Amino acid sequence: MSVHFEQVSFAYDDRSLWRHGALADVSLSITPGSFVGIAGITGSGKSTLLQHLNGILKPTAGRVKVLDFTIGAGDKGPLRELRRRVGLVFQFPEQQLFEDTVEKDLCFGPLNFGVPLEEAKDRASRALEMLGLDDSFLPRNPFHLSGGQMRKVAIASILTMEPDIIALDEPTATLDPQSRAELLQLLSRLQREEGKTVIVVTHRIEEMLPYAESWIVMKDGTPIFQGTPAELVREERHLSEAGLALPECIRLWNQLAIKLGLEQEEPCLSAEAIAERVAALYEHEVHPPTWGGGAGDAG
Amino acid sequence: MRDKLLFGRCIDTGSPIHRLDPRAKITGMILYLIAIIAVGSWPMLLVTVVFSIVYMLATRIPLKYFVKAAKPLWVLMVFIFVVQSLTVESGEVVLQIGGWALYAGGLKSGFIAAARMALLVSFTAILTFTTTPGLLNQGLDGVLKPLQKIGIKTQRLTLMMSIALRFIPTILDETHKILKAQAARGADIKELPWKEKGKLLLSLLVPVTVSAFRRAEELVLSMESRGYIVGAPRSEYHLLTWQTKDTWFVLSYVLLVAVVLTYRFI
Repeated sequence: MSVHFEQVSFAYDDRSLWRHGALADVSLSITPGSFVGIAGITGSGKSTLLQHLNGILKPTAGRVKVLDFTIGAGDKGPLRELRRRVGLVFQFPEQQLFEDTVEKDLCFGPLNFGVPLEEAKDRASRALEMLGLDDSFLPRNPFHLSGGQMRKVAIASILTMEPDIIALDEPTATLDPQSRAELLQLLSRLQREEGKTVIVVTHRIEEMLPYAESWIVMKDGTPIFQGTPAELVREERHLSEAGLALPECIRLWNQLAIKLGLEQEEPCLSAEAIAERVAALYEHEVHPPTWGGGAGDAG
Repeated sequence: MRDKLLFGRCIDTGSPIHRLDPRAKITGMILYLIAIIAVGSWPMLLVTVVFSIVYMLATRIPLKYFVKAAKPLWVLMVFIFVVQSLTVESGEVVLQIGGWALYAGGLKSGFIAAARMALLVSFTAILTFTTTPGLLNQGLDGVLKPLQKIGIKTQRLTLMMSIALRFIPTILDETHKILKAQAARGADIKELPWKEKGKLLLSLLVPVTVSAFRRAEELVLSMESRGYIVGAPRSEYHLLTWQTKDTWFVLSYVLLVAVVLTYRFI
């Protein structure tokens, strides 16, 4: 297990009048090298959960095991090595950048972890390139970039650390549709080709459905669902229970599955895949579809 | 960090003090300030301490929060104590080292001065602990109103006050977020040696200032786009009503001032 939560609870401002709980009795596991989506509405504890991965927040009760590190309530060990291996991209990139040039910001992590300056600079320009920005950005001031560019620089600043686990908090929020797709493809490539564990917090389930291998749905600080995409589609009620909008493709597939008797199949979740599946049914007539007729109540 | 800085935060316990008119509370605080300046002897210090503790208890806020509120100023209090003890030369000599002597009067005035400082800071915290920023602002506006007659734009002052109060927690939060981001990339301020700590804090200055200015500009735009005009006559959403209990509250402070002044000058 690369990440393992054992009955973790967390409260902000614990032991004060402003105490408010954010996580309650969270137990979950994430396998190494997987692509995991964490979904939930605002305030469901997603970001808090994420910040436990590298010890930025420490549980007020329970234990978090990440790679070969264990963090319990009140633990105070040095966390440098853990933080080198777990890269965390925060929700608001403009609050994550602090140096006066993009290059310095990108090198900040590697230099802290003892990477020589030349190599850090090399990593910086490679990370920028991965995110589709060229070297002309290096001398620029990160605070003068557009929202989307800032976001990309923030993500690049984590990639330069070459972590084993990459955790991102709503990374697509301020990106345009094309950049969003590119980012998810990049993360998926890092996961498949370099064996990194990728954990993405989102409330746009739809755009991550093609990539995520497993899902965690959070509600009121507790995971109410953990499982594969196929299970998520089959148990779609968890999404509405968590207050999330049901993605169109899941609704479409489930209605088709009921009408055409495909409940046991691996769900097709894009318009193209669904069209092909339906076309295949007609061609082979393995399960002759029964439109209208007695199945009308499912619409 | 947030639990250490208590200034400007309202703690709602629903006590009678919370429900008082903010104007009464502000007036009370001004009177308290006068009383505390006039305190110069042990009996009156005792009277003021008892008076303060009674009101602090009445807010139903644990006393430790008042102690916490005064904590950031402990260096200043120690400084006041030391300077007073060393410079005031009256009473008996308590300690003599070579040509230098420590007097009982010096110790006394040093202690009283430091105690006054502590009392003032922790007691005036009642005002911000028991009053929401909105009401505080409205109360301040009410108290300052007479100044309008001599041409001072009080609304401008209170607007500045309320924005300043509103921004303290925001700027702290922002600082905290950048510290987190730095920690996530291997520079945890808690784990660094002192010299590095200083460097890291210095590197915070630019982004925090930049974001404070950006926020201020955004706030101005958002207020103007909703039709806010500085100095235009404005009506209040909640009208403040002065009640008998507010009068009694202020009178108790008048009494305190009277007792302290009488003891001092008669």
